[in-house]
Amino acid sequence: MHTLIQLSVIVLLLPLLSFVLLIFFNRRLPRSGDFLGVGILATAFALSAWIFWDVIVLHYDPAFRLTWDFTWIDFGDVPGVGPLQIRMGILIDNLTAIMLAMVTLISLLVHLYSTGYMTGEKYYGRYFAYLGIFTFSMLGIVLSDNLFSIYIFWELVGLSSYLLIGFFFEKQSAADAQKKAFLVNRVGDIGMWLGILILYSQFHTFGYQEIYDHIKNGDFHMSQAWLTAAGVLLFMGCVGKSAQFPLHVWLPDAMEGPTPVSALIHAATMVAAGVYFVGRIFVILTPDALHIIAFIGAVTAFMAATIAITQHDIKRVLAYSTVSQLGYMVLGLGVGAYSAALFHLLTHAFFKACLFLGSGAIIHAMHHEQDMRWMGGLWKKMPWTFATFTLATLALAGLPLTSGFMSKDAILAGALGFAEVEGGGIYYLIPVLGFFSAMLTAFYMGRQIWLVFFGESRTHLKPADEHHDDHHGHDDHHGHHEVHEVPWNMRLPLVILAALSVFAVYSPDPLDGGKGWFMHLVQTPPTAVSAPAGAFLLHGASAAEHPVETAAHGAGAAGEHAVEAGTGTHDSHGDTAEGHPPAHGEEEGEHHGPVYDDPRQAAISHEAHAAHDRAIMYSSVMVAIGIGLALIVYAFRFIDPEKTAQRIRPLYLYSFNKWYWDEIYDATVIRGSLLLSRIMAWFDSNIVDGIVNGVGAMVRKFGTASGNMDRYVVDGMVNFTAFFVQTTGAALKKFQTGKVQTYVVMVLLAVTGYVLYYFVQLLS
Amino acid sequence: MLSLIVFLPIVAALVILAVPSSQKQIIRLVTLLAAVGQGVLAVLIWQAYDPALPGIIASPGGSPEGSFQLIERLPWISLDLGNFGSLTIEYFLGVDGLSITMVLLTALISIIGVLSSWTIKKQVKGYFILFNVLSTAMMGCFVALDFFLFYVFWELMLLPMYFLIGIWGGPNREYAAIKFFLYTLFGSVFMLLVMIGLYFSVIDPLTGNHTFSLVAMASQENYIPDAILGPESVVWRYAAFIVLFIGFAIKVPMFPFHTWLPDAHVEAPTPISVILAGVLLKLGTYGMMRINFPFFPEVFQASLYVIGVFGAINIIYGAFCALAQSDLKKLVAYSSISHMGYVLLGLAAGNSEGMTGALYQMFNHGTITAMLFLLVGVIYDRAHTRQIDKFGGLASYMPVYAGVVTVAWFASLGLPGLSGFISEAFVFVGAFSSEVTRNIAIVSVLGIVLGAAYLLWSLQRMFLGKRNPDAVYELRKGADGQEHIHFHDWNGKNDLDARELLMLTPLAVIIIVLGVYPMPVLGLITTSINQLVEVLSPVVLTASAAVN
Repeated sequence: MHTLIQLSVIVLLLPLLSFVLLIFFNRRLPRSGDFLGVGILATAFALSAWIFWDVIVLHYDPAFRLTWDFTWIDFGDVPGVGPLQIRMGILIDNLTAIMLAMVTLISLLVHLYSTGYMTGEKYYGRYFAYLGIFTFSMLGIVLSDNLFSIYIFWELVGLSSYLLIGFFFEKQSAADAQKKAFLVNRVGDIGMWLGILILYSQFHTFGYQEIYDHIKNGDFHMSQAWLTAAGVLLFMGCVGKSAQFPLHVWLPDAMEGPTPVSALIHAATMVAAGVYFVGRIFVILTPDALHIIAFIGAVTAFMAATIAITQHDIKRVLAYSTVSQLGYMVLGLGVGAYSAALFHLLTHAFFKACLFLGSGAIIHAMHHEQDMRWMGGLWKKMPWTFATFTLATLALAGLPLTSGFMSKDAILAGALGFAEVEGGGIYYLIPVLGFFSAMLTAFYMGRQIWLVFFGESRTHLKPADEHHDDHHGHDDHHGHHEVHEVPWNMRLPLVILAALSVFAVYSPDPLDGGKGWFMHLVQTPPTAVSAPAGAFLLHGASAAEHPVETAAHGAGAAGEHAVEAGTGTHDSHGDTAEGHPPAHGEEEGEHHGPVYDDPRQAAISHEAHAAHDRAIMYSSVMVAIGIGLALIVYAFRFIDPEKTAQRIRPLYLYSFNKWYWDEIYDATVIRGSLLLSRIMAWFDSNIVDGIVNGVGAMVRKFGTASGNMDRYVVDGMVNFTAFFVQTTGAALKKFQTGKVQTYVVMVLLAVTGYVLYYFVQLLS
Repeated sequence: MLSLIVFLPIVAALVILAVPSSQKQIIRLVTLLAAVGQGVLAVLIWQAYDPALPGIIASPGGSPEGSFQLIERLPWISLDLGNFGSLTIEYFLGVDGLSITMVLLTALISIIGVLSSWTIKKQVKGYFILFNVLSTAMMGCFVALDFFLFYVFWELMLLPMYFLIGIWGGPNREYAAIKFFLYTLFGSVFMLLVMIGLYFSVIDPLTGNHTFSLVAMASQENYIPDAILGPESVVWRYAAFIVLFIGFAIKVPMFPFHTWLPDAHVEAPTPISVILAGVLLKLGTYGMMRINFPFFPEVFQASLYVIGVFGAINIIYGAFCALAQSDLKKLVAYSSISHMGYVLLGLAAGNSEGMTGALYQMFNHGTITAMLFLLVGVIYDRAHTRQIDKFGGLASYMPVYAGVVTVAWFASLGLPGLSGFISEAFVFVGAFSSEVTRNIAIVSVLGIVLGAAYLLWSLQRMFLGKRNPDAVYELRKGADGQEHIHFHDWNGKNDLDARELLMLTPLAVIIIVLGVYPMPVLGLITTSINQLVEVLSPVVLTASAAVN
């Protein structure tokens, strides 16, 4: 087993150890064992950093790939298939190494932060146990090398999400939210499961690489529509987990969980798993499937942004912002901006975790006040929180010099390129929605910063009847409403996360993430489902020269090399997987993607590159408008937000009530299923069982009838015989008087009769 | 060894007969001893078992040796029928992959059942005698390789079950008991007819005589071409398949023959529910795999779609019915119907993945549902009600109970990492891979969501949130200032006590271990399943038809 594989197995199992120890022994440990959770995660992060160093820094090879697997289930020699084994394994490539470091780092920071935030909670120890099982499942998703195990861990993060959303389970709304999250995710999961089934039914394997190779070799024997269906169905898993339209409804409610959990699970890592998964299956997505994905992403980004602008709850704004940003990532994958989308996943994870932890600090300091209407003026009292929150906000809004700027810009450039390649028209809707959402993002974040940190404190304005009673076991200090900066263990994570939102971490050029290490190491893989050649000749003039140009750089082998590495290590099955020397490093001065045989992919890649400068320009303008609007409304108060809301009341309510999706689902799906269940239960106890009882009753009636028959006819005959004998006997017994005289007379009569008879006979 | 594991409980029953009925503890311990003895024997059998041997049919020479294991074979009843020849019934036991899985399950559930019976107060002696008879009958069914012997054990099961529900059950117990009895009897009458028809159609290749051997009957070349159930008699073979299928389907229970199950469960005492759901239901699907399908493989191939549709109906209809229940035990009973639907669906797939999933699901459903019924029993003992809306907020006051319930509930809804997931997953894998059942599989995945819906909803209503205003329990401030739960007429521990943990923990451990690494059980069954699929496959059929 390769050292890196060994390390990654340890990293995977450490948080599970934390879960097992804490769930059983938290009551017996000092401080409920929180130090164990933090310590174990720190170890896991250290090992992940080691992997990161080895893979990303030392190898620095876009084609780096390492696999290891073992037989999990052996079906033996299956008739019609041959020897069949289900294998489980680990895949480490650049994306894995980056995700591994990101997940363990944020999880560690959230652990640390929680030692401050969750102090005094009734189930304090259990909380860290749940964080442990979450981290374990999330790492499982990242390390999986096949669809079956990613599905397993996919559901397990669902479980941990369920447990953590409902951490305050005594509260009805929390119990509702956790159930909703699990069920909505399950709807997405059954789609994903069907997608997996389609692929398995063709190839009898779950391994990514085997499936991709089979598809590349044209072994998929169902129609192309089924392959598109497989892609879209797998994507449904992402729709559920990454809260894409129309399954986005669970994520805002998930904010019922403790705020650090929102940061870890419902902003940085788990919800991004959907995007990661689509990235993993990217090579088998057909153009049709990609179009659907792009539109879903664009609609989600836009819809969530329009909802975020009217919410009062500080966490809800961030929740919708998360949905919106996830929409960007999905959009990015849909338009083929693979690297950009995954880059945004990474940058978003850090700045959004920072924002959520910042909001947690504010909520903590404000004694569980979450409504922004009653905040204000906090920048003086909480300078650290203010500074980090603002930096992360700038990244989210996509201002230059931040990480978010680079990644968002790359996605939007990809969207522009995509629209041009696809021939414009309706496809321009995707970049348009993207740019418009960028403006809305800048607006609602500007609004949030202003409402929370600037102006005068509005705590006293809060109506008495709006007192939220959602402190859970906290010793709430009513009476003294002093607002203080949070302690160091909550401040340190904020600072680290804010620092990771600066451009320099990712790229030397603040205007172009493409020059950075991420975009170099995580490159769009060549698709396994080639579009028919010639379909993109319209833009072919520029596309055609692209391969020639990059082929000269020799990077073309990168894609092939990745495939080779995968199959090679798989065949050996054992622990012989080797790291690959950075063979191509020396030839790749410029950031050129690999060569695409597929004309569509080549065209998109080229157009996106060409659209880079335009995207920067457009998005800067949109962001400026957004921030300007926010300042006009909230800072200078040129426009009164309340009056405006009154003037456009239907629109305002539409946004405020989240486009009424909850109501729609309640009226249709939920009530429908409950009604159906009642009808079926009635049918079961009245019709099905009614027939059974009816048959029973009929048999009984028949029994009664046959009983009657028995009693009156069969038995009647018997009784009649008896009756006959009895009557005859009674009649005859009259002759038997016991008197000699009577007998003598009778004998005489008889003798006389006999003699008479004899004579008559004789005479005749 | 197999005779010992089958008849050990009967020995215990005889011992109990000699014990005065006032000695309740001795009676219980004798039964427990027998059950644990069975458990030890089951482990020994497991150790002695060679998973490489296929079972299902005889080895190439026609002898069950080398295919089945631990064979015990003696002539039992021999009748001279004059012109009809002689009727030979054998005492014939043996195991293969199908049966060893069920033997292990039965031994496990029997032990759990005895422990759970500790709370039975009424007529202890009679109860445990019947319990032991039931135990023997169940084990006998799974290891019998002679159809007549199988039938004897099958019928022997009815009697104790009838009395155990009818005497120790709830208020409506007599209705439920008679319903169970008549329903099952109805199925087995037809089984008897088919059995006799098969006897006259099959020749044991080794002796040349007619035989009741299930092993001989599973090979189509042993059928006399022009016999009543021989290969040429198409109509009779269809009829025989259908009535046998109904007989077994009643036991599963399959829609529309399922309504005895919720009634039986609601009325039965907890241990009997555990046995019923844990073992008895599996006899239906075991019978299908051992008898119904391999004896009439061409009819099986023709009915895949129909069986699959019934499986899907069970899954979805059962789940919807469960969603509507207000009685927790009835909810679990309907969930049982839903989960047995997966077994039917897996069988209908007709391939190795589906059939392996089905058999594994039988095992897992046994352990998971046993756990569910035990947990229902725990709260019923304390609160004397099972109405879901009479609780609320229990997680705050019975944390250990709530924790175990969470494990069991999530196991039931098919959470990965717990055993039920793997079996359901492979049922779907198999059903989707077969073109016949692909559409059915697509519809059936709805069951995954519905299963989560009714389980999580009941979990929320009983355990989360706060105490319902009309809950059956009270909260009292304890000496430590914390609120404690209080049930009327309950003096035991409020949270799980040691005996309850002793029953639940092994089940939970098995569910988790087999969910992470299923090979301990799957390794036993795959060879047999592959053999079964081979026996059932249309290719083999056409080949043997060509020989004939």
